[in-house]
Amino acid sequence: MARRGLVFAALLAALAVATAASLALGAVKVPLGTVLDVLLGKGASATDTQIVEVLRLPRTVEALAVGAALGVAGAILQGALGNPLASPDVIGVTGGAGFGAILIIIVLPGSIALLPLTALAFGLLAAALVFGFAWSGRNRGSVGKVVLAGIAVLSLFTAGTTGLLAAFPERAPSAIFFIAGGLTSSGWRDLETVWPYFAAGFVCVLFLIRPLDRLALGDDVAASLGSRPQLIRLGAGVAAALLAAASAAIAGLLGFLGLVVPHVVRMAGGSSSQTFVVPASALGGAALLAGADTLARTLRAPIEMPVGPFMVILGVPLFLWLLRRAV
Amino acid sequence: MEAAARSEAGAALLEASAVAVEIGGTPILHSADLRLRAGELVAVVGPNGAGKSTLVRAVSGLQRPSAGAVRWSGLDLDGLRGRDLARRRAFVPQRMQVPAGVDVREAVTVGRSSHLRPLRRLTGADRAGVERAMERARVTRFAGRSLTTLSGGELQRVQIAIGLAQEAPVLIADEPTSQLDLGATIAVAGLLRELADDGLGVLLVVHDLALAAAVADTVVVVSAGRTVADGAPARVLTPRRLTDVWGADAHLTGRAGRTALHVAWLPRGDVRAP
Amino acid sequence: MRKLLGLTLLLAALCLPASSQAAAQRIVALTPFAANTLARLGVTPVGIGQTLGGAERFLPQLQGVPTLPLSHPNGPNLEQLAALDPDLVFSSRTWAKGNQAMEELGIDVVVHDPRSVDGAFADTFKIGTLVGRKHYARDLLQGMRRRVEAAERGIERRPKVMLILGVGRTPFTFLPNSWGGDVVSRAGGRLLTGGVSSSSGFERISDEVVVAENPDVIIAVPHANEDDIPSLTEYLRTNPAWSSTNAARNGRVYVSVDNSLLQAGTDVASTIRKVRRAYLKN
Repeated sequence: MARRGLVFAALLAALAVATAASLALGAVKVPLGTVLDVLLGKGASATDTQIVEVLRLPRTVEALAVGAALGVAGAILQGALGNPLASPDVIGVTGGAGFGAILIIIVLPGSIALLPLTALAFGLLAAALVFGFAWSGRNRGSVGKVVLAGIAVLSLFTAGTTGLLAAFPERAPSAIFFIAGGLTSSGWRDLETVWPYFAAGFVCVLFLIRPLDRLALGDDVAASLGSRPQLIRLGAGVAAALLAAASAAIAGLLGFLGLVVPHVVRMAGGSSSQTFVVPASALGGAALLAGADTLARTLRAPIEMPVGPFMVILGVPLFLWLLRRAV
Repeated sequence: MEAAARSEAGAALLEASAVAVEIGGTPILHSADLRLRAGELVAVVGPNGAGKSTLVRAVSGLQRPSAGAVRWSGLDLDGLRGRDLARRRAFVPQRMQVPAGVDVREAVTVGRSSHLRPLRRLTGADRAGVERAMERARVTRFAGRSLTTLSGGELQRVQIAIGLAQEAPVLIADEPTSQLDLGATIAVAGLLRELADDGLGVLLVVHDLALAAAVADTVVVVSAGRTVADGAPARVLTPRRLTDVWGADAHLTGRAGRTALHVAWLPRGDVRAP
Repeated sequence: MRKLLGLTLLLAALCLPASSQAAAQRIVALTPFAANTLARLGVTPVGIGQTLGGAERFLPQLQGVPTLPLSHPNGPNLEQLAALDPDLVFSSRTWAKGNQAMEELGIDVVVHDPRSVDGAFADTFKIGTLVGRKHYARDLLQGMRRRVEAAERGIERRPKVMLILGVGRTPFTFLPNSWGGDVVSRAGGRLLTGGVSSSSGFERISDEVVVAENPDVIIAVPHANEDDIPSLTEYLRTNPAWSSTNAARNGRVYVSVDNSLLQAGTDVASTIRKVRRAYLKN
């Protein structure tokens, strides 16, 4: 118990540091005092205000939201499917979202404003297909069926994406950046579109935490306690799909977070109880993405580098160190 | 055999009649009856594939029956959902999933969750309930240990503790001793008998007929999807029945607090198989 | 006398192979720049390349020339190319893999990817030399240089310009050592670069720097069609990140979908004029 408290404290500290860095640092040097002035509404030069209010603040919030969402989505999927390799990719969301985005970028570039919604819609469609197939026929909703359906749907959408890229090779470069994943500084525009899906996903997760702990003891124990195992799995799938689709809509295809953060948190805290893992994954994911994004846009300023490698640089050494110490 | 006349004036907690179950279109159970009263320990026995587990899962609400009536304290099973059912009966599977990173106290606390409203925190009363359940199952001394470090017997007692945390008047255990060694079997059997003596209704599926005879007040025999006998162990587990149902030449004896099954393992006069 | 004749014959013998080497007969041009340059030089290639879904602009003289579809990463289908039996192929670095394969087939491959107007002139001359039209090329170039100088005359203002590639989530900025960057610089624009340089000619530059440098004009070069221009322009104009810039506030955000800023063309002067008239207004 004390160990978990320690882990929470460390995660909160990391989150605070990452958030502060994300707001205070950037390609243009803005003194800390000025940053605080802008945030507290005390006014500063037009340029500084624009930079802090319109560029850094929304981007920081996006990083925290997406990081938390992906961390939590990974945690609940790993719990619901009883599989340590589960992540939002497994339920097809990232494949679908990628296809939707590429569709806009390559085939309908004039509709670029609809990119977040299209990515979100196709992400949810892919998840719906996965669960539809997994819930049909015999052995409804079994873990094996979900995983296999996920692989099939992912392959389907990946093939579609590759096909589009091959058909319009001139336009392919624009699409690569979505696939690589990363945040952009475009004000609140994207968040305004997708925040309801984040909210819905997080609320679902709140109600899933205890049922998932029951599911961890086996379908029979969960049934004894009054839960329906298949319903819990479906609920977890829906919540994860909402969170992952909303994340992909604004940050492209970011893997790694959903898979690794729950494991790091579990190993550090020595506990698999969802009441610990879910909130800890939210904090850890948010801190990791905010930190990695800050590094990606300040290390070689004013050049913006992709965020993926920085997530790996920050996360993998910690993961490996914990892995060595874990039994 | 000591057929101790254990007088149970307990209320009828479970009444099931003519229960039939189909799994994947195949009929497993054709017609089975079951009754359980407070303070009574009922053992369900029968050969493999007879439908013992299916019957017990059906009355527990884990498997939908295709026919028959199941009533819990007079209320139809169909009308009882989730939480309500969890307050009436606790189902302990043969072996639960053992997640890493969960200790005994946490697992038993999960058992308490049927008492909790969706987002409410644990109260002092809940925590006390958890401690009580652990004490009754005698697992308090390793409450802080991870589930993965427990032996078979210890794990089975923890499973019972999880069931007890539900604080339901009925405990149902599906083959709780089948995978345990002698010592652990004795411990678990003793625990279950104690719980029945304390007033719980206990329903067990067991393979071991001698064990069933020793701990049960009532034995129900299931054979080929039907209940064929129901009553005190001595009356039910006669040599004739053992031959009819199990094809065994055997009889039960009980003397000085011990029960044994005497079996002719190698039947006399038969040509040995080449 | 006989010695003089012998010397003349020797010289002629030496010159003939050189000029027959230079005058390759069957030429395939895989880039619009090479194709149009050949057309201008009065040489008709036996095949020209066209990317799938691309919008290359070819001179009218090239109508009727067989087209080879180009796709990543090889460029043309090598069997189709071989069927044309080319001596020489003008290609681009984009088709590096295909270029290697062509060389292995024994076809000469010459790569031209001019990234500046001067580079385009130099490459025009090189192409002219390779096809035996050196003198013609020189004349052509004189005319081109004159027209470009005329197009660059009388620049009144030098607004700060951000030239970006693509519209999507993360636009790349054209740097001075890119084709579009050079054209816009010559048209009188001061390119917004954030002090960055890169060998590729493009970089992702932080929006913070854009805000700090405050461009007067923003030009986007997306991969899109003509009909997409209005919605794309609107999307860019309303991008919250740039809302404080002069460009956004004065509505001077433009979208260019033809390839004139993306790829070298042979009508540089008219491109420069268009940039000045439509975008820089100088």
